[in-house]
Amino acid sequence: MTFGEPFFGLSWLDAIIRILIIVLVMTIVVVYLTYGERKVVARFQMRLGPTRTGPLGLLQGFADAIKLLIKEDIRPRNADRWVFEFAPFLTFIPVFLVLVALPFARDWGVRNLALGMFFVFAVLGLNIVGVLMAGLGSGNKYALLGGVRAAAQMISYEIPLVVALLAVAMVAGTLDLNAIVSMQDARPFILIQPLAFVIFFTAMLSELHRAPFDIPVAESEIVGGYFVEYSGIRWSMFQLAEYASMWAFSIFGAAIFLGGWQFPFGDDWGWGWQLALTLIKSLIMILLIFWVRATLPRLRMDQLMSFCWKALIEVSFALLLVNGLFLFYGWPEPILAAVNWVGTIAFLGGIYLRAARKPSTKDLVGSYKHVEVSNS
Amino acid sequence: MTTEVLWWMFAIAIVAVSAGVVFSRTVIHSAIFLILSLAGVGAMYLFLTVSFIALVQFLIYGGAVTVLILLALMLTRMGVAGKPEPTTGVQAPFGALVALGLMFTLIGVAVSTAWPGDLGGSLPGVTIETIGNEMFNNYGAPFIITAALLLVAFIGAIVIARQEDGD
Repeated sequence: MTFGEPFFGLSWLDAIIRILIIVLVMTIVVVYLTYGERKVVARFQMRLGPTRTGPLGLLQGFADAIKLLIKEDIRPRNADRWVFEFAPFLTFIPVFLVLVALPFARDWGVRNLALGMFFVFAVLGLNIVGVLMAGLGSGNKYALLGGVRAAAQMISYEIPLVVALLAVAMVAGTLDLNAIVSMQDARPFILIQPLAFVIFFTAMLSELHRAPFDIPVAESEIVGGYFVEYSGIRWSMFQLAEYASMWAFSIFGAAIFLGGWQFPFGDDWGWGWQLALTLIKSLIMILLIFWVRATLPRLRMDQLMSFCWKALIEVSFALLLVNGLFLFYGWPEPILAAVNWVGTIAFLGGIYLRAARKPSTKDLVGSYKHVEVSNS
Repeated sequence: MTTEVLWWMFAIAIVAVSAGVVFSRTVIHSAIFLILSLAGVGAMYLFLTVSFIALVQFLIYGGAVTVLILLALMLTRMGVAGKPEPTTGVQAPFGALVALGLMFTLIGVAVSTAWPGDLGGSLPGVTIETIGNEMFNNYGAPFIITAALLLVAFIGAIVIARQEDGD
């Protein structure tokens, strides 16, 4: 099973079979990701999580899926009908297209694109369209607020995400995902580009609307954001797209930073081991996402935007400049890695010190700041 | 052969959704048709085997420009979504004139130019390496000047949009 030998000798039939396999796997993975998230977060909160449906609650996800499918599909009267109905599908299409380009094992994915990395973030940008359509079409102020928040957040965090990935692409010298993975046989790129990984992970949390960046879907503020009016199968399409994009992003991140199918064993081991490695690495990233969700409180909108525009973008461009200098003059890789580690520690340390510093409450008088009122 | 059939299907679909942009009664529907039209053009680039330009089309037009349009609509619209709005004003004939003029100019230029891919010619293989070389080596100065121009425009936009205390 390689890219070169299509099933039954027909390239279009081969593509369809591969896509079907990946979509089936994705559905199972999504069902168990919802279960896994509930279990993991429950353990973090000293609870048990689902235990009743099946052994250890393993069938909980399927029970939820059946429940969602037989629920009534409600459409509000003042919703914009076609916009409302097509929005869930438009959020799902980009995720589905991303899965086409991901390398799962050596020479196994749906298609190996020469511009694979560029394809992934070009297509992921289209994700916003469906979210905005849901916000606009629902005819609901909360949905509209959620849509505006999601749009502002996603187009802001797309910049550091893309720039951090470009920094890695500069080191790798290619945009071909399979080639990037096979380059990491001795060391995964997280060891020489840790700062890029930190930026990528933060921006990824924001693009996925995961805590602490779940401002567009904040239940306690805007009752669920852009999908507040959806129910039944259309709501489950949104959930499917959310978890599937989390999985796709994790595999993408595992391929670029953690060495994908290549890193500890190399390509001497069979494709089963390579597939297992990819999946285990993506599960580690997903566990990290759940961990962050269980640990950190939600940010405020202005904190979110100022962190992106005042910290992440500058750091990512500085990273790009440093990488450019090193690659142009051909300075050795260990020094590049050392400089990157120093940068990472400085960046994270700066954030930690800023958070640990006792905030001054001097000018806080019930509001954000004390305002001088003039009597004139 | 298959590519040609697909090309014609997409051509018809793009013309149909573009007509939707013009004749739709609500601005939001127009914006959504515009997204479909631009994405269709991106797919056309894929059939024409210029994958880099296709991806740039998806990234810039599909992901950024139309999102800005939708965001602006979200911030400015009032009332029930999907209600018909007046779409023509006194400027309509001038708009039609400009659009028709642009259309005939573009068709005229496209037909009268000798393209390298015309019948009997051969296409140069364009990869991302070629584009990068041209952009950063052969056309480095125009690239930097464009970047500086964009930066100036960017700062200008911030200065105009910024509200000082007391303004």
